[in-house]
Amino acid sequence: MKIEKLLHKLQAFFNTDKHKKRQHIEELRKILLKLKKKERKITRTMQQVNDDNLSKHYQTELEIIRVQRKKGIEVLQLLKERKKT
Amino acid sequence: MHKVLLLIVVPLLSYGFWLSDAFKGIAAGVSIFLFGMLSLEQGFKAFTGGVLERILQKTTDTAWKSFGFGFVSAALMQSSGLVSVITISFLSAGLLDLVAGIGIIFGSNLGTTTGAWLIAGLGLKVNIATYAMPLLVFGVLCVFQSGKQLKGIGYILTGLGFLLLGIHYMKESFEAFENTINLAEYAMPGVKGLLVYTAVGIIATIIMQSSHATMLLTITAVSVHQITYDNALALVIGANIGTTVTAIIASFGANIQGKRLAGSHMFINLFTGIFVLFFIKQFGIAVDIISANLGIAVSDNAMKLATFHSLFNLAGIVLFFPFINQQILLLERIFIEKRPAIFKPKYLDSSAMDFPETVVESVRLESIHLYENAIHIILRTFGLRKSDLQKNDSLKQLIERNNHPIEYDIDASYEKRIKGIYSAIIAFISRAGFTWEMAQSSKLSWLREANKHIVEAIKDTKHLQKNWTRFRTSNNQATINEYNKIAYQIVFHIQQIDNFRHEIESNELPLLSLDTLKATIKNDDMQMNRAIETLIREQKITPETGSSLINDAAYMRNIKKNLLKAAETLFLHGNTGNARAEQQLTLNETEINDVVQTVDNQ
Repeated sequence: MKIEKLLHKLQAFFNTDKHKKRQHIEELRKILLKLKKKERKITRTMQQVNDDNLSKHYQTELEIIRVQRKKGIEVLQLLKERKKT
Repeated sequence: MHKVLLLIVVPLLSYGFWLSDAFKGIAAGVSIFLFGMLSLEQGFKAFTGGVLERILQKTTDTAWKSFGFGFVSAALMQSSGLVSVITISFLSAGLLDLVAGIGIIFGSNLGTTTGAWLIAGLGLKVNIATYAMPLLVFGVLCVFQSGKQLKGIGYILTGLGFLLLGIHYMKESFEAFENTINLAEYAMPGVKGLLVYTAVGIIATIIMQSSHATMLLTITAVSVHQITYDNALALVIGANIGTTVTAIIASFGANIQGKRLAGSHMFINLFTGIFVLFFIKQFGIAVDIISANLGIAVSDNAMKLATFHSLFNLAGIVLFFPFINQQILLLERIFIEKRPAIFKPKYLDSSAMDFPETVVESVRLESIHLYENAIHIILRTFGLRKSDLQKNDSLKQLIERNNHPIEYDIDASYEKRIKGIYSAIIAFISRAGFTWEMAQSSKLSWLREANKHIVEAIKDTKHLQKNWTRFRTSNNQATINEYNKIAYQIVFHIQQIDNFRHEIESNELPLLSLDTLKATIKNDDMQMNRAIETLIREQKITPETGSSLINDAAYMRNIKKNLLKAAETLFLHGNTGNARAEQQLTLNETEINDVVQTVDNQ
């Protein structure tokens, strides 16, 4: 049992770089998910707003999120490809 | 006052040295012991470049944890005074709340009793001078090294060496003293003795600024039967009350929270002292029982005194620890925070100056204080208050409702709410110096910039106010609408920064939200200028009014930019959850411009 634990620890040590990459991918996924939820929430709120100024603000926010998500998906794909190689 | 005292003390000591060699030895022992404490303090300060602060934040989130922190740190540093001074500086800097502060004081009261056990158990029974020598040699060797931490270790070792040497000198001199004068002849029995010796203990501790030194003198004197055991008990009570003076002195430069903590320290130790004086007989019996169980000999008064010291502080904890919240209520009633005519800095405490991380945090909190005051001024310029923003009313209606606002005196408000704090922050940063590590210096430099942005925002508001007041009462509705729009956009921006602050707290991708704020500033500016051009073209406003509006739109943009830059530095100070990944998705200038263009075309 002890040797098994030791082997696990050694494996984790040698795979630090891999682990970091995986962690980074996970972080990006979480952010993309949060952005998606935020996008949906803003779209819902925007439908109930009559104010022109507010409506313009939400439009800007939605567009920013759209570009950020696009950027995020590109980075994520690049990371996945690098992980494979 | 200090000089007068010095003029009295020096001749008195000199006369004493001429009279008795033993007295000279005792005084030298106390001096060496105190020097050891100074050295120990210096050594611990070398480790406060952020490490101590980080430990403090993690170990003081509950009252019991704070208690544990106080106990361990006082036991390690062997000085409850140093722990309370550090606690006051952290409290003033806003790193701790009062509950945590009081918890630490309780813990340090108990932690400091380990010193009495060391003196009584080890100092008097072993020839400790032999341990002092190697400590001093290795300590001095380390002090001469160039590394900051090695130097710190050197000071700690030297400090410990001097402590032991001081104890040794006093022990030897008291033994010699025994053959010439018998202090026991001055023993006072009964209540009179209790009160007189308690007062002596208080005065001795205030003069030496160390309850440890008083404890050492008492334990050594009682071990060679120079004073009676009963009088020694009273001296211990006095030492515990006298030690609170160090915290009181430290609180003179602290803010209201620091003063409350010092008050609490005095309250706990004074009332525990009174309680123990009332039940001194019962405590004597309890000490005898505990000592017998611990295997301490009946005649070993030194060890019994150490037991009493611990029991005394335990009594204080049992009596007052469960009532921390009630104590805070009482302290808040006694030490009332006055609303000053001119706003003064809340967090800039000179006692924090020795701890780089604390200085940075103090400056950050003070800058937030300045930011809040600036927001107050900006909102008042447009006839609003911060509380208005929490109402459900539409912002547009709120601004339009104030169609005849009385001109707010920004100059007077600047003098009252900004100037004092801003100057204090700049002076504090300059005093902090640049001898520290780069990390803290650059943080301070960023904070200085943030403060400049805040002040710039107010100056721009003042420029804007002139036309805002003038045109708001104009007969031209189009002009009024445009000025209302300017006010609306500034106040809306302030609201958005508030939301950004909440996003930081709840870790809702604050870094990415900044992009929206930046894009909104650009978008608003573009829309505003376009609208003004249209109004001039359609002759709804005169070109003169139009040029004023263009200038004021530029002030609006600057106010928003300055506030955002300040907020970015002040609120985004720590790492957010996924900062690295978030940073990868933030947009650059060109991308933001593209977004603005896309929205404009929609």
